[in-house]
Amino acid sequence: MAAGERVAVVGASGAGKSTLLNVLNGTVVPTAGTVEVLGRDPSALRGRELRQVRARTGTVHQHLELTGALRVVHNVNAGRLGSWSAARAAWSLLRPQGVPEVRAALDRVGLADRVFERTDRLSGGQRQRVALARLLVQRPDLVLADEPASALDPALADLALELLGEPARSRGGALLVCLHDPALALRHCDRVVGLLDGRVALDAPATSLTLADLERFYGVVR
Amino acid sequence: MTAVLAPPGPRPRLRRDRRRWVWGAGAVAVVVWSLAGAGLFSGPVVNPAGLRQFGRFASAALSPALDAEFLAVLGRATLVTVAYAASGTALALVLGALGAGVVARTTWGRRRTGWTAARGLLALPRGLHEAVWGLLLVNVLGLDPWVGVLAIGIPYGAITAKVFADLLDEVPRGSYEALLAAGAGRATASLYGLLPPAAGGLLSYSFYRLECAVRSAVVLGLIGAGGLGYQLALSFASLRWDEVWTAVFALAALCALADVGGRAVRRRVADPRPAGEDRPSRDRLLTTAVLGSVALVAWSWWYLALTPATLTSAGTLEQLSYVLGAAWPPATDGDLLGAIASAAVDTLQMSVIAIALATAGAVLLSGLAARRPGAGPGRWALGVATRWAFLVPRAVPPPVWALVLLFVLLPGVLPGALALGVYTLGVLGRLVAEATEELDSRPRDALRAAGASPLGGWLYGVLPVLSGPVLALGLYRWEVAIRDTVLVGLLGAGGIGVLLSGAIAAFDWPAVTTVLAAIVLVTLVVDLVGERARTALR
Amino acid sequence: MRTVRAARSGGPAYGIPRPARLTAVALLLALAALLTGCGGASPAPAAADAAGPLRIGAIPDQDPEVLQRLYGTLADSLAEDLGIEVEYVPVTDYAAAVSLFRTGDLDLVWFGGLTGVQARLQTPGAVPVAQRDIDEDFHSVFVVNRDTGLTPSDDLAPLAGLRFTYGSETSTSGRLMPAFFLAEQGVDPEGFPGGPGFSGSHDATLSLVASGSYQAGVLNEQVYEARAAAGELDPAVVRYARTPAYADYHWLLGPDAVERLGADLPERLTDYFTGLSADDPEDAEVLELFGAGAFLPTEAANYDQIEQIGRDLGLVN
Repeated sequence: MAAGERVAVVGASGAGKSTLLNVLNGTVVPTAGTVEVLGRDPSALRGRELRQVRARTGTVHQHLELTGALRVVHNVNAGRLGSWSAARAAWSLLRPQGVPEVRAALDRVGLADRVFERTDRLSGGQRQRVALARLLVQRPDLVLADEPASALDPALADLALELLGEPARSRGGALLVCLHDPALALRHCDRVVGLLDGRVALDAPATSLTLADLERFYGVVR
Repeated sequence: MTAVLAPPGPRPRLRRDRRRWVWGAGAVAVVVWSLAGAGLFSGPVVNPAGLRQFGRFASAALSPALDAEFLAVLGRATLVTVAYAASGTALALVLGALGAGVVARTTWGRRRTGWTAARGLLALPRGLHEAVWGLLLVNVLGLDPWVGVLAIGIPYGAITAKVFADLLDEVPRGSYEALLAAGAGRATASLYGLLPPAAGGLLSYSFYRLECAVRSAVVLGLIGAGGLGYQLALSFASLRWDEVWTAVFALAALCALADVGGRAVRRRVADPRPAGEDRPSRDRLLTTAVLGSVALVAWSWWYLALTPATLTSAGTLEQLSYVLGAAWPPATDGDLLGAIASAAVDTLQMSVIAIALATAGAVLLSGLAARRPGAGPGRWALGVATRWAFLVPRAVPPPVWALVLLFVLLPGVLPGALALGVYTLGVLGRLVAEATEELDSRPRDALRAAGASPLGGWLYGVLPVLSGPVLALGLYRWEVAIRDTVLVGLLGAGGIGVLLSGAIAAFDWPAVTTVLAAIVLVTLVVDLVGERARTALR
Repeated sequence: MRTVRAARSGGPAYGIPRPARLTAVALLLALAALLTGCGGASPAPAAADAAGPLRIGAIPDQDPEVLQRLYGTLADSLAEDLGIEVEYVPVTDYAAAVSLFRTGDLDLVWFGGLTGVQARLQTPGAVPVAQRDIDEDFHSVFVVNRDTGLTPSDDLAPLAGLRFTYGSETSTSGRLMPAFFLAEQGVDPEGFPGGPGFSGSHDATLSLVASGSYQAGVLNEQVYEARAAAGELDPAVVRYARTPAYADYHWLLGPDAVERLGADLPERLTDYFTGLSADDPEDAEVLELFGAGAFLPTEAANYDQIEQIGRDLGLVN
């Protein structure tokens, strides 16, 4: 992937999309081959260096993996744990730190009034937006997102992909996003990669593809 | 195209899960064996002539000693007990939190041997009753208040470490892994991803420990530390039942206080108040609870005049080396080992009878004791009465139960077993009632709506779901009951405790070592069997 | 420094009389102190004497209230006579009393014959300083339940087939000496049906025998007589036999106190105790509380028999 590139990964459930993301963010060690992320191989790194690479990688997980028992502000601040000291992180649980940034991030996803709500009291769509806000305060270079818009209405889905693509567009970062919705992929990405049983079955610039092409790809898969 | 029907298979039959069946049959066999060992099938066990003495004990409950001087003494004794319980619990929680990190599966990952070894290390502090720790520590620290604090803190710390680790291990890993993937350190990721979901359980358990610590502080008083237990021991030795009951009621009130406080905090953590929009609203209740707990511990430390220096003073080290020197090597003569083996059988039988009685009683009464929203006032009053009634059997220390039951039962394993059973019923009754409250009430409601009787609704809608948690709680209390048999044994009701109290009274330190090792071993075996049973029945 | 904020062992408070109406206030204050975390109700720290106080204690074989009065009175009298600070430390457990003597937490202890021997053997330098006149000639009584049909006798053999309980395991009068006399008459002291019981206290022995759970038992004659005099004996309890005389209680002084309070302390204490006279009203009070006509000097050799029996029974190592 080149700097500034936004790549959509499409494919049926079980095709290997989530695994790909987990390999890239270094939580899963590949069984074969090597991975290079931000110029380093995460599986070869340890300790501080690994944390630095990880802090520059922002992930929106398919199941979000928010901590339901925490208030929204802490879940958003969790995006900054890579750069905070342990003491500051602990203190923030008592006296939330950096509330203005958190509020600004939540404002961009339309949740500014829920800063101090318990996260498990939010709806699925609202939680997805909290995960986006977490990413906004983390300010990563590489964004990995797994179905980040599955519970959002069309307008919010567009907004979400807009925000995810921002580091790629403005800072020379990159976006790798798994999507089920072909239209979204074409609207927000430069390149589309189709996975079939763990192998790359399609790799083309978004401009060269039509909605019909992608739907046909899904048809093959089904 | 014609659909091909599958040929009719064998008629489905009622099939029993063989593993469960084996465990169930084994449990019944062990209970019958224990009852036989207690002499239930081989001659009289009841002594009706003793009813008068028992009646004296029971009727004194209605007329506890209330003269001003005694109450004043008891008030001060209560403060001492609270101070021991609070500082002991604080120590236990600190040790438990540190220990939990060491014994959690999360820490060890796939390194199973390391994990097993770490868990095994906990068996020693955990296997010995607080009273035993107290007796040992008196020999090293003399009259220092650390005796009471350590006697509670050490075994409780080990138990707490295990429970905390289990609670943390049960939290789904996703959030924690996600934080690691975003570059957070392990400590920070635990703080944001593991602790918050477990907080309710950790807090709930901490308050439960505090309530247990109050009871333990009283038991320590029985063997010579101060407080309510000391007053109770004095009154007990001269059989002044009216005074004994006053102390018991004071203890029950303390337990109720810890229970009510714990419940309030637990509910608030599980279901916090809605947040304000602009700033995090400080929750009064939680803030008060946290500040109050900290203040209580600080006060206890001051009140007991604890000084860490005594722990490392020359005198302490000298006494420690005296005891260790006298206790090593352990005694290995055949007579002692034979006596231990037969006493271990008694201990096992006592604990089995106790836990069977307590579990059956707790299940039968749980329907009454559990809170049920929307029930009538009569049902509500009955529930409150039952819950309060559970306080009494667990506020009367097991040795007292053992003596009064010895009035109406002939000597042997049975009085001790029933004493423990009644005491455990008090504890288990409360735990099972709580488990019942947490059950989904819809199946039962649906049955009732379909015209089932209350008993029918309970049998089909509650009991099947309740059996899981009840078995888990029962097996857990079984381990505790094994430790407690030592306590009734210390005061003469049979089992390994008798040997221990004999060896300690004779200052036969090598024998003490051997007996202690045997106790730890028996506890460990019961622990393992309980663990296997839990997995099999899950 | 050793400050005594909370009396770990229940408190010297027991004997201090307090106006009744203050009780509720004290409780409330205590509760307030508990809640606010400021210990307004706690006792003041003891005055710190460089040499420290003489800490006296006793094995708990008596009615605790009597023990409290006994030692309150004695501590005052002793402090006045010797001009040193005296502190009473209550203990509830025989073995604990011995251990606390060894660790130096107790200086001067009123031990039973056996516990005295145990404590002296574990604490090099400990010396017996005095005994009562009656301790030269002490007895235990065997009691049986009325339903056994036994009548008073000197023959202990019929006890062998009964459910039998001793008192505390290391009580001289409730265990050691009765066991010795049983064995002398050919009764195995451990051979009772189901094994002997250990009731824990003389009063518990009386109650258990009255209930019939245990058909027979043995206790300190002094306690038995006291209960009989107070009319508290259950009619189901029959006095069956009295043991021959043996030596029992004595005052034992630890080496630590001698170091702190002067090499002449043993002599001064012996002089104090033997000097107590029934003619002096204050002295008479102490003597009466101890149930003694006078105190006599004593020496370690007086307890050699007890030591030997203790060794035979495995209670002294």
